Amino acid sequence: MTIKKIVLSCLSIFIFFFLINSIWAQENNALTDISNANELYHDKDYIAAAKIFKNLIAEGHVNGYLYFNLGNTHMRLGEIGPAILNYLLAKSLLPRNESIEANLKYAINKTVDRLDPPRTGFIQELFFWVQAASLNEYFQLSILLNIFFWTVSIGYLCLRTPTWKTLKTVSMTALLFVFISTGIKYHLQSSQKLGVIIDKKIAVKSDTGIQNITLFELNEGAIIKINEGNGTWVNISLDADKTGWVPIKSIGYY
Amino acid sequence: MHKTSIKQFKRKLITIFFLICLVSTDIVFAAGIIISASVDKNQITLEDTIELSIKITGVRNPKIPVLPTLSDFIIRSAGTQSSTQIFNSNVQTTTIYKYLLIPKNEGTFIIDPIKLEQSGNTYNSKSISVNVQKTNPKTSNVNKSVYAETSVSKINPFINEQITYTFKLFRRVEARNLNLSMPFDETYFRKENLGKAKRYSQLINGIAYDVDELSMALFPINSGKAIIPSSMMELDLIYQRESNRRRDPFSRFFNDPFFGRNSKSDHKILTTKPIEINTQIFPNSGKPKGFRNIVGRFSLSATIGKDILELGDTTTLTVILSGTGNLMDATLESPNLHKNFKIYPDQPIYKQSIHGNQIGGEKTFKFALVPYKTGKQTIPSIELNYFNPEKNAYITTSTKVINLTVMPGVGNENLNLVTPSTPRTDQKNSEISILARDILPIHTRLESFKNLSIGNNTKIIYVLSFFLPVIIYLFATVYIRYTHQMNNNTAFSRKHKAYIKAKQSLNHLSKSNYQEKDLVKKLSLIIREYIGDKLNLQGTAFTPKEVEKTLIDNNFALEKISIIKKLLKKYESMQYSPISINEDQGLINESINLLKILEEKS
Repeated sequence: MTIKKIVLSCLSIFIFFFLINSIWAQENNALTDISNANELYHDKDYIAAAKIFKNLIAEGHVNGYLYFNLGNTHMRLGEIGPAILNYLLAKSLLPRNESIEANLKYAINKTVDRLDPPRTGFIQELFFWVQAASLNEYFQLSILLNIFFWTVSIGYLCLRTPTWKTLKTVSMTALLFVFISTGIKYHLQSSQKLGVIIDKKIAVKSDTGIQNITLFELNEGAIIKINEGNGTWVNISLDADKTGWVPIKSIGYY
Repeated sequence: MHKTSIKQFKRKLITIFFLICLVSTDIVFAAGIIISASVDKNQITLEDTIELSIKITGVRNPKIPVLPTLSDFIIRSAGTQSSTQIFNSNVQTTTIYKYLLIPKNEGTFIIDPIKLEQSGNTYNSKSISVNVQKTNPKTSNVNKSVYAETSVSKINPFINEQITYTFKLFRRVEARNLNLSMPFDETYFRKENLGKAKRYSQLINGIAYDVDELSMALFPINSGKAIIPSSMMELDLIYQRESNRRRDPFSRFFNDPFFGRNSKSDHKILTTKPIEINTQIFPNSGKPKGFRNIVGRFSLSATIGKDILELGDTTTLTVILSGTGNLMDATLESPNLHKNFKIYPDQPIYKQSIHGNQIGGEKTFKFALVPYKTGKQTIPSIELNYFNPEKNAYITTSTKVINLTVMPGVGNENLNLVTPSTPRTDQKNSEISILARDILPIHTRLESFKNLSIGNNTKIIYVLSFFLPVIIYLFATVYIRYTHQMNNNTAFSRKHKAYIKAKQSLNHLSKSNYQEKDLVKKLSLIIREYIGDKLNLQGTAFTPKEVEKTLIDNNFALEKISIIKKLLKKYESMQYSPISINEDQGLINESINLLKILEEKS
């Protein structure tokens, strides 16, 4: 029985370290690729750099700076639509990064329509601070505050002093605040989808199908709000008045 | 009383009869429906219009008559009149439909019978013959109360040379509801407006005319012959009638056109002659290189923002092209300064103005210049070639040569540097100008490129991080409460420690070397103490009978009570018996089993 336990323990430790090692190895490979892509970018081989960045993203590597660098690469290739899309993705992961904001503004200024991201809704304006951090950051902050709150609660069980009580109240308020913010951030991120026109020029139709009336036209790089999809067509809007249908292949979204 | 009621009855009968008559007029009159058509004149010129009246009698609210095909006329509805007359109980209803016929061509035309379909029957009017004559150009305008003419400033212009197309309305009578159409072929001409219509008086052969004049500028865009089609002016002429009311003090008041009592309206359509324009191409002789079809009279001037500047500093070269002609089409290449300056051209600004009947204005071209080299620099003369149709020659206009001095800069400036996106407002009169903008560079710190994707492991950690503190808190709560009870509640503490204490005592007993009698005494004491601890009583003072009673009071199972009682009695008998037992370990084990049984119960 004891030998079995020892063997199982050793096996568990081995698997754990094997997994950790493989994750580290993957991480190291990705970093090598990023380093190579950055060098290619500096050597002005933007196509090769973009290919590496895209492969990493396709493999599931999620990082704001990766999207930022890919956005820059698209800018250098003169592809404003994909550049804006990648800047927006980078901004969602690194919302306080000024370089991303600056390059996004620069790219928008280069578009024909010069459309800023569509105006946010009432909830987003009411809970304006949720834009200050990414969803991942909110999750991490929630976990930290959660651990802190329950630790303080245990402390208060042992030492029922006014200081511990105040600490518990404050930590509980902070935890509730962060929980609500996380919920709103999650809701906004999952319900409000932004997209970017990647074709040079597209006609926004009154309904699905090219035979319908063209309501207005949008040029590459225009940032739009995606409302609903219908197979090969999606309903988009710029504001309450400007809404219509475009082919899904003409837009990039996340 | 009786007479009054008879009178009332008669009145009612008359009223009912009258109403029946009114309602049944359609039926009554249907038999006598008459349709007739007439025109106000049947000899007209192309300038005149015909008023066609279709009179329908004998039916109330007749259907709209069907007009024959009149392809040589433009037909317009001029309203409907309806009247009802009663003569000696004979009711006659008349409806007149009026139409305005505007002739399109000259000739003799027959207006075929006009049909009316009413109550299943078809009624026809008689046909009418109308003669439309061409307006005699020689005599048409002589002594006429109204006429129109058009003219152009030039019939053989060059491409892009402005011609002025003028419409003039001459009239001696009051005119209202003026509607002018001046069509032109957009494939041959580009149009520019020359302002509002002018009104003035002019004497023609001693007759004073009021003249309304409207002009537009046309720029031929293709060479060859092109026709400016006829312009058409539609208007109502108001003629004052002569009357005998001159002596009437109120006649002047009622003769005011507002009342329309003493005036007659005549609808007229005045058409002008089409004009043929023959647009010439530019002469080949002397045609300069880079000529860009600019036609007119122009002059070019240039100014520089700063004539002394530092290296890396910027200055603006402003070139102004002014004059009359197709200035809107003018373009200017960036000056050839690429060796010494970096040039950033701005969007040209065009300000149009009208000089007499000539379109002109000013077009401003701005170039931001950033010097590459220090020292004395020269901006050479900038030239523009245009064609002057008056002189029938190509002319080159140019700016003066501009000299400027470039001083060495304080530091080397990289022209492609990106200046801050938000210009600082605290630096007044700052001389730093933004030369170019670019994206910020890529991120290269590899440690920032960690994969932030939320995988299954991360999700498990997140979930555990949320729920584990709660579970730990619950355990902590239970433990702290237990400790608290153990410290502060003796009964609770004795009850929970009873088994451990008894077991420890029994274990200790098995290791000790007691006399048999003492051992049994000790065993009995341990068991009784255990029961005492469990029930928070003084256990050592219990007799087996008291134990039985206490256990029954505390709802112990009778079976177990019986076992305890037996064991305690056994200890008692062994304690006082003279016989040696030699079953030390057996008794201890039996006691341990008993404790286990009791613990299970509790």
